[in-house]
Amino acid sequence: MRGFATFHPFVLFLYYAMVLIITMLMLHPVILVLSLFGSLLFFLTIAPLRQFLLDLGFYFLMFLLVAITNPLFVHKGETILFFLNDDPVTLEAIIYGFVIATMLVAVIFWSKSFSEILTTDKFLYVFGKVVPKSALVLSMAFQFIPLFKRQIKKVHEAQKTLGLYTSNSITDRILGGIRVFNSILTWSLESSIHRADAMKARGYGLPKRSNFSLYKFEKRDLGIIGALFVMFFVIIFAYIKQYFAFNYYPAISDFTDTKQYFFYFLFVFMLTILPFMMEMKENLLWTFLKRKISASPIRNKKNVS
Amino acid sequence: MNKTFINKLIVLGVIPVLVLSGLFVFQDRSFILISLLIAVLALLPIFLSFEKKEANIRRMVTLATLVTLSVVGRFIFAAIPGFQPVTAIVVISAIFFGSEAGFMVGALSALISNIYFGQGPWTPFQMFAWGLIGFIAGHPKWSLRLKENRLHLVLYGVFAGMMYSLMMDVWTVMSLDGTFNFSRYVTIAALALPFMAVYAVSNVVFLLLAIKPVGEKLERLKTKYGM
Repeated sequence: MRGFATFHPFVLFLYYAMVLIITMLMLHPVILVLSLFGSLLFFLTIAPLRQFLLDLGFYFLMFLLVAITNPLFVHKGETILFFLNDDPVTLEAIIYGFVIATMLVAVIFWSKSFSEILTTDKFLYVFGKVVPKSALVLSMAFQFIPLFKRQIKKVHEAQKTLGLYTSNSITDRILGGIRVFNSILTWSLESSIHRADAMKARGYGLPKRSNFSLYKFEKRDLGIIGALFVMFFVIIFAYIKQYFAFNYYPAISDFTDTKQYFFYFLFVFMLTILPFMMEMKENLLWTFLKRKISASPIRNKKNVS
Repeated sequence: MNKTFINKLIVLGVIPVLVLSGLFVFQDRSFILISLLIAVLALLPIFLSFEKKEANIRRMVTLATLVTLSVVGRFIFAAIPGFQPVTAIVVISAIFFGSEAGFMVGALSALISNIYFGQGPWTPFQMFAWGLIGFIAGHPKWSLRLKENRLHLVLYGVFAGMMYSLMMDVWTVMSLDGTFNFSRYVTIAALALPFMAVYAVSNVVFLLLAIKPVGEKLERLKTKYGM
C-alpha cells in the first residue's frame, strides 16, 4: 500500500500545484534546495532504485550544463572573475546559474513523481469534473492505444495466413506496413462511429446520470487539505512580506534574513517533505505489523488468552 | 476573412504575446511560473468552447481516434528524435474537421504522448504549439487550399516545423535563464536548426504520404455519416 498516493486525487492535485508554485515563484536558494531535497527523497521511495539512479545521473549532467552556461550569456553582477572573449564572467551569474538549475531539476523531479502518483485514471477523474467532454475524448484515446495494438496484431496475422509476407525484403515489409495501416485506419474510424452510436443509445449526455468512481473523500483528506492550506498561506504571507527576498544581481544577498525568518522556512520544509514522511510512516507501520505477525503466531496468542 | 476565426486567433496568440512583452518591460523574476500560467491560459478558450458546445458524440469519438493515431505514430518513430507524424495528423484533422478539432487533436496528442515520453513543465507549451498549428490549418479558406494544393501543403508543413521549433525554444530559454534572454534565444534557436530541419522534413513527408489515404477515409466518413 502506498502512503501518499492513497489520498483523494483532488488532494494530490492541490499538493502538486502548491509545491510547483512555490518552487517556481520563490527564487530563494534555501527554498529551492528544500524543494529539490523533498522531490528527490519522494521519488526515491516510489521509483525503483535503478531508475532513480539513472535519472539522477542524467539530470545531474543537465544541472551542470544549465549552471555552467548561464555566465556565458549573462554579464550582470559586480564580482568579475575573469574575461572570456572580452565579456566579463561574474560570480553572481555563476551562482544564479546554479540556483536556476536547482529549480529546474526540482520541478522535473516533482513532475516525475506526479506522473507516478497521479495515474491516468486519477487524472481523468479530476479533469472529468472540470472539463467532462475533453476528458472523455482523452480517456477514449487512452483506451484506443492498447486496442489499436491488438487490432494491428490481428490484421498482421490475417495477412500472414493469406501468404502476404513471404519474402523478407524491405519493400515487402514497408508495403505490408502500409496495408496494415490502411486497414487499421478504416477500421478505427468506422468503429469509432459505431461506438458513438452505442454510447448515444445508452443515454450519453442525458441529464441525471450518475457515474461510478473509485475515490471517496474521507476525513483524513479534509484534514490534509486544511494542513496544506495553512502551510501554503503562511508561505505566501512570508513571500508577500518579502521575508524570502533574495537578490542575485548586482550583488548576492547574505543569509542574515534567512536566519531571522527561520520559522517560515520551516513551513517550506514541512510542505516539501510531506509526501516522503507519509511514505515513511506507511513503510514503518507495515514493517511493524509484519514483525508482530512473526513474533506472535496465532497459536501462542491462543495459549496466552 | 471569417470574423470569429480572427477573434479566436487574437485570444489564442496575441494575448499571451502581450502579457509576455509586458513582462520583459517589468523584468519580473518569477518568469517561469508566469509563462507556464500563460501557456495554460492560452489553452483554455478552445477547451472551454469545446465544452460549451452541444455534445456531438460521433465527432468526439472520431477526435479521440485521430489523437490515438498521432500518439501511436509518435511511438512508432520514437527512435528518430524529432521525426514524428503528429504534426501531419494534426494538420489533416484540422483540414477535414476545422480549427477547433485541429487544436484539440494537437493539444491532447501532446498531453497523452508525454505520459510516455516524459511529462514536465514543457507540456503546456507543447500542447499550445501543436494546438496552434492545427488551429491555423483549420481556417476554412486555408484548409481548402491545403486540401487542393500540394505546394501549399508542403509550405505549411515547413512553416509548422519552424513554428513548433521556435516556440519550444522560447520554453528552453526561459527554463535555462529564469528570464527571457534574447541573445541566448538566438543561440539556442541556431543550435536547434538541425531539429527544425528534421521537424520540417518529417512534416512534409508525413503530410504528403498521409493526405490522400487518410483524407479519403475522413471524407468518406463525413459523407457516409453526415458529420
